[in-house]
Amino acid sequence: MTSVFAELSTDDVVAAPADSAPGLWRAVAAALPAPEATTGELAAVARDAGYHATPGPVAETLLVARPVLTAAGLPVPDGPLSYATGDLRVSYAHPDPESRVGPFGAAGTDHTLRVSGTLHRVPWARMCSEIVVVGDAPFGPVAFLLDPGDATLRPGGNLAGEPRDTLALTDVEIPAHRVRATSRALSAETALRAALARAVLIAGAAQRCAELTIQHTATREQFGRPLRHFQAVKQEEAKLIEETALLRAAVDAAVTGLGTSRAEFTVAAAKAQASDSIAEITRIAHQLHGAIGFTELSSLRFVTTRLWSWRDEDGSEQHWSQRLGRQVLGTDADRLWPLVTATT
Amino acid sequence: MTSFDFPPVALPEPARRLREEVRDFLAAERRRGTIMGRADSWFTGWDAGFSRRLAERGWIGMTLPKRYGGHERGALERYVVIEELLAAGAPVGAHWISDRQAGPSILRNGTERQKTRFLPEMAAGRCFFSIGMSEEHAGSDLASVRTRGERVPGGWRLTGTKKWTGGAHVNDYAIVLARTDEAAGDRHAGLSQFIVDLRAPGVRIEPIKLLSGEHTFNYFHLDGVELGEDALLGAEGDGWRQVTGELAWERSGPERFLSTLPLLVAAVRKLAGTTVTGEQQARIGRLVARLHALRQLSLGVAMALQAGQSPDVRAAVVKDLGTRFEGELVNEVRAILPAVPDPAATPGSYPELLAFALMHSPAYTLRGGTNEILRGIIARGGENRS
Repeated sequence: MTSVFAELSTDDVVAAPADSAPGLWRAVAAALPAPEATTGELAAVARDAGYHATPGPVAETLLVARPVLTAAGLPVPDGPLSYATGDLRVSYAHPDPESRVGPFGAAGTDHTLRVSGTLHRVPWARMCSEIVVVGDAPFGPVAFLLDPGDATLRPGGNLAGEPRDTLALTDVEIPAHRVRATSRALSAETALRAALARAVLIAGAAQRCAELTIQHTATREQFGRPLRHFQAVKQEEAKLIEETALLRAAVDAAVTGLGTSRAEFTVAAAKAQASDSIAEITRIAHQLHGAIGFTELSSLRFVTTRLWSWRDEDGSEQHWSQRLGRQVLGTDADRLWPLVTATT
Repeated sequence: MTSFDFPPVALPEPARRLREEVRDFLAAERRRGTIMGRADSWFTGWDAGFSRRLAERGWIGMTLPKRYGGHERGALERYVVIEELLAAGAPVGAHWISDRQAGPSILRNGTERQKTRFLPEMAAGRCFFSIGMSEEHAGSDLASVRTRGERVPGGWRLTGTKKWTGGAHVNDYAIVLARTDEAAGDRHAGLSQFIVDLRAPGVRIEPIKLLSGEHTFNYFHLDGVELGEDALLGAEGDGWRQVTGELAWERSGPERFLSTLPLLVAAVRKLAGTTVTGEQQARIGRLVARLHALRQLSLGVAMALQAGQSPDVRAAVVKDLGTRFEGELVNEVRAILPAVPDPAATPGSYPELLAFALMHSPAYTLRGGTNEILRGIIARGGENRS
């Protein structure tokens, strides 16, 4: 597969993700797969974006926002999209004076909402045309489209400088045509999709991390021979390759599992494994790169700083492992093996 | 590229039904008391009766042709059966080497007479094989074997001593790797394989006890053992190719990451229904995530093998990751559910299972190709792809 991101993701572009993402998006938007593409096809593109550390909400748009909007029955806008969940105060904008006042106030004449509260660290919010927000309305679970221009944006970023903006909403009106009553299942699916998108990015970046390291040990010479000729280096390099393959296998299984009864288990296992593998992968990559990898003289930092951030975003290994553990311990010991093997 | 592109893992429908059949069989065996749920059951769980009952169900020699007593089932169906047996800690040690290695090797390399003589007996769970490869000075460096095979009128004479020969004291036959041409220039040339009756005159078995006191390994002395022409397995001088051609099967199977799973199952059983901390949940979840990922990798290799590829590097990846996981699991379980390991505790109790898994832990990363050697293979594979 020829990559749409390879040529455009130069070091200068990748080094300044916030500045370069809008232009890059305009350049690649037409080449991105349509919303009808399979999860496998979308994941392949998102993994490639992770591999090239491509700035912009590619995985967020393709694997989270668009499918969640479609599932909610909302229109899928053009342009870069992101997603958010949060503790919001949501009320009817048009209360029905005829309705009886219950614990959530009067019912509304329509689903137009007034929303207040804070959405923390929304990926790429400042450049997105819309944010899909999943939360709770007086009538139950809700999904709505938020124009980030309607919120007060406090810029923030992760270790790689990727925008993670905080959006403060003060009595923002969301018109009914941008609101849909949904289900608990869609809220859960949004969390799974977000975790999967992040895990897919990790799989791409981890592969790049391994390849940069192999290139380095093949070319860098010490004591008159390439580093890779040293047994001690080989041992570590093998572990790096292995751990990368392991997390890739977990992520591939989740891509296949999404949308099936196995989504909950496979995605939890994938994000738990992907996040967990990063300590070992980045440790070895940096150790074998020596001092150069610790500086701006090497491209290694583009992937390792992202990996250090992505492992915590959309649920850390601790979060997802605990969810897996609860599934295993919730019933009895004989469920452990059946849970693992039910995948295939 | 360092990416390993595995085909998508999907087991065929018959394999799913088969899994349920195996679980029913295991439930019946549990009621019989034959399943201890111990770690490492393929290495030390020797129970000829269990093997015979498994064979009656058609679950030994599954992939062999029917004319040799096999069942012509796919490699993935065999995978499902063995992973179920291993996860349960069932005693599969008696037929393990016959089923995994000796049977397929005889099918591939043997004469028609050898196939009709050995394969149906193996598939019936009545004939058990050992493998005689390693020696005093030939461990990871297998090409250094010194056991000699000399041509004599009417056949061959074998002289030498094999080491670490598992089960030689209880099994029926062994496949022995010997040097048949001292003059061969290439050290990989001049090696041949032989089928040796473990009760033949000149065979002497001397135990090597494990650090736990168990008797599994042996010195296998061949003091001028006389063999007929038909003892040669495959072509004379072709032993190295025959032995190394099968390594991916040996290295990537579920026995490379499931050896200690029964201990985790025992710990979870003890914890279920009690008040469990978030830390315990997370540590168990972490092991489950890794187990699941390893299984996906291993199944990917199985599918590549079934498709006729030679995924040697990927098999080494499974073996190194999987066997390190087997040891790590034991240590993690100690932290999740602390107990004093006690080999004298009630068999099958948690302290006994913990002691057993712990005492076997040095073996996981040694057998089937020491992991340091495997990592050399993986690093070289990585360069070739780059």
